[in-house]
Amino acid sequence: MNKLKKVYEAVCRVEEALAGFLLVVILVLVFAAAVGRTFGHPISWAMDMSVFLFAWTVFFSADVAMRKDKHVNVDFLVSKLPEKVQYYLKVVNYLIIDAFIAFLIVYGIPLSYFTRFRTFQGIPGFSYMWATLSLPVGGGLLLISSIIKTRQIIRDKPSTHAVKTMPKNMG
Amino acid sequence: SAPRYVLRFNHVLAPTHPYHAGFEKWAQRVYERTNGGLQVLVFHSAQLGVEEDILEQIRQGVPVGQNTDAARLGNYVPGIAVLNAPYFVNSIEEVVKLNKLPIIQQWETELAEKYGFKVLSFNWVQGYRHFMTNKLVKTPEDLKGLRIRTPPAPIWQESIRALGAVPTALNFGEVYTAIQQGAIDGAELVYDNITGANLFEVLDYVIETKHFLLVNFEVISSKWFNSLPKEYQRILEEECDRAGLETSYEIERNTEEIKKYVQEKGMKIITDIDMEAFKKAGEGAYKALNLMGVRDEVMKQMQAIE
Amino acid sequence: MTLVFILFGIFLILGMPVAFAIGIAGFVFFLQQPHLPLTLPVQLILSETQNFNLLAIPMFVFAGNLMNETGITQRLMRFASVLTGHMYGGLAQVSVVLSTLMGGVTGSSIADASMEARILGPTMTEKGYNRGYTAAVHAFSSLITIAIPPGIGLVLYGSIGEVSVGRLFAGGLVPGLLMALFFGITVSITSRKKGYLPEREKRAPLKEILPEFAHSLWAILFPFLLIFALRFGWLVPSEAGAFASVYALVVGIVAYRELKWDNFKRCVKSTIADIGMIMFLIALSALVSYGLKWEMIPQQLTQALLGISSSPSVIFALILVFLLILGMFIDSTVIILLLTAILVPIARQLGLDLVYFGVIMVITCATGLLTPPVGLTMYAVCSIMECSVADFMKEGWPFLVSLIIVIALIVLFPQLILFVPNLLFGT
Ligand code: NA
Ligand code: NA
Repeated sequence: MNKLKKVYEAVCRVEEALAGFLLVVILVLVFAAAVGRTFGHPISWAMDMSVFLFAWTVFFSADVAMRKDKHVNVDFLVSKLPEKVQYYLKVVNYLIIDAFIAFLIVYGIPLSYFTRFRTFQGIPGFSYMWATLSLPVGGGLLLISSIIKTRQIIRDKPSTHAVKTMPKNMG
Repeated sequence: SAPRYVLRFNHVLAPTHPYHAGFEKWAQRVYERTNGGLQVLVFHSAQLGVEEDILEQIRQGVPVGQNTDAARLGNYVPGIAVLNAPYFVNSIEEVVKLNKLPIIQQWETELAEKYGFKVLSFNWVQGYRHFMTNKLVKTPEDLKGLRIRTPPAPIWQESIRALGAVPTALNFGEVYTAIQQGAIDGAELVYDNITGANLFEVLDYVIETKHFLLVNFEVISSKWFNSLPKEYQRILEEECDRAGLETSYEIERNTEEIKKYVQEKGMKIITDIDMEAFKKAGEGAYKALNLMGVRDEVMKQMQAIE
Repeated sequence: MTLVFILFGIFLILGMPVAFAIGIAGFVFFLQQPHLPLTLPVQLILSETQNFNLLAIPMFVFAGNLMNETGITQRLMRFASVLTGHMYGGLAQVSVVLSTLMGGVTGSSIADASMEARILGPTMTEKGYNRGYTAAVHAFSSLITIAIPPGIGLVLYGSIGEVSVGRLFAGGLVPGLLMALFFGITVSITSRKKGYLPEREKRAPLKEILPEFAHSLWAILFPFLLIFALRFGWLVPSEAGAFASVYALVVGIVAYRELKWDNFKRCVKSTIADIGMIMFLIALSALVSYGLKWEMIPQQLTQALLGISSSPSVIFALILVFLLILGMFIDSTVIILLLTAILVPIARQLGLDLVYFGVIMVITCATGLLTPPVGLTMYAVCSIMECSVADFMKEGWPFLVSLIIVIALIVLFPQLILFVPNLLFGT
């Protein structure tokens, strides 16, 4: 069990590093494309490549944000309810979220295969499938985080359950 | 009562484009002939989504339709791209003829059976595309080094490169400022585009190269199409073809007025160009994309029906 | 779609993260439509990430975070202090000026308000400022950052509504400065009453101001460089975002020499978390947007609204009141995401300039960030300042009044918004 936990932690670190790396690559690519065009050497594949990488960045980052509790919620009403009710609400919320993410994966895999013929207009022969895959793959990691969270919430008995989650970085 | 069948039809053009009125006419006639049983809702300006996404939705069986081109369908059936190569089709009459060729019908069958696209019509013609620049161009050599905006698909890019220019992919909406500020040196477009985006303010010349006759495909989901009653299927196709041809001729007539208008706005239309040189240069695109064989086959079939 | 909106409301109230609340509610639309395959919602979520224009958002978020890591914040704060130290409520004035200066770096109200509440808040409490008052000053002044370019709200509005982001950025400049002016006046009046004294006796001499100005120059220059880059068509918005990040990197490494590998890594990490939050929300909102388009709700609403009154001003006023009320309950990003596609055609029909409308829409929606029951910026500062929402409102109302005056001014005098974009981009 401990070993599994270590493996998962390693995966999380790789995921975060990869997302960061992709972000920097996108930055370089978009910047280079603008400079290139200005000097008469447009990079025809830059736009498509940057959005392709962006898909992976977004879904990896969504998982990072979930692990860091960054997904904003509104609790002005919930926080006024009895703790026991809050507990059950939270459990239900997360069970619904788990189911939704699972759905994204279950339908994302066949969709990835289905989109194999579509290619990026600017990158001849490069299948759109590789972009579509970002959703089931990122979704898989998201589901693990979400299930871990659900388990924590269920274990947190109402009496010890603290109201937290303050929104950050939005607006 | 509510219509039994509803098709949502998307296109990326402005509501003022003649195509939009054409699609509305089609929708109207289908509605009347099916006594309100089949309704086509037209979405202009890509209101339902971007073209590539709608094409994928069509493949998934969603009851939507899209006005698209050979370059995009060439992603699925590569040979189709040839219709988007330089100097391949040269008049509306030729388009009508093309429709009857076995090879085109074979492509349509492949699109339907393998990829789920039903081609309702292939005779919506937007007109000739020309180079529009600030430099006087008469030969392919004159285009050398000019950054010309064109769609990002390989067939467009290779064609523009073959004709002598540096193809530059950019959203159409950004063309005006990009030309104004010298990020690009021109574009290759149809006459309608000039007035649509006030490009006469930033461009001096229309070089009438006529390098493509832009023909569109109207596609919907074959799965959904097959679920329609036979009668409805026939009406939907017939009316789409009819409205397409009417619209194509209307655009051809309008072009003369637009020409006058852009000249009043100060643009010069250049017709005394070395057309043979352009046609010869255009060959390069067929070679680069391995389309020589397909071209010869289509030409052979064209001659056979004459 | 009715069910979708009801569910969205319920999920929100029950404390589900906003991104999932909107995604799951939107998903229900596809369950209601038997002829829509369930692979479609997955495709739509993915497609949202394939929009090159939206890349501007991560790029600007990255740029803002990089600027912070370069130590620009400290420099701007020193500059703001020498400028306003002699005024009543000196530290509160610093907050207003700092937000104005930070406006050119960040495009997010919550980030700005939380940052300033953390840095300035404790000192202000020590010096006897009421906690609610401090929270209100930071929260309200943070709205300035939304209007002064770059701003995420304006980028979103521009890319959904197909309105020039360069013009929108230019259009936000004067409203941002107007807010700064009005909040500054409000601070002066309220501080005098409450006896919040100046930090120093006399106005700082020029020889003290100038060096601080020089230290902050890179950040102050930035919004202007940005507008010019967009104006001259060198860059499209996403490229401008990339340019902003590169600019921040160069300033951090070459000019300030404070950006090292460690804080660069930290900065990338926090950017990833920010992007994950905002982009996931944007991606999942695609489901509701598609439902709206599918049902042709924008077209229907346009018809309905235009039927209410023949006077464009009445309809425009109705829209603003509607946005103001909606903003109290729903986050401004979500409103912009869902309503831009609906409201832009209406604005066009009413004959309104789309830049004018966009700037007003973004500021109006953002007002909701500061009002109960759901005001994310308000929550953030209240929790940092450890004050109640009631205290916040009790101390904050003069600021709310001046904010509404600013909105009224820009609504009534369109030139306040349009003068700069028309001057730079032509009419
Ligand atoms: Na502030
Ligand atoms: Na800003």
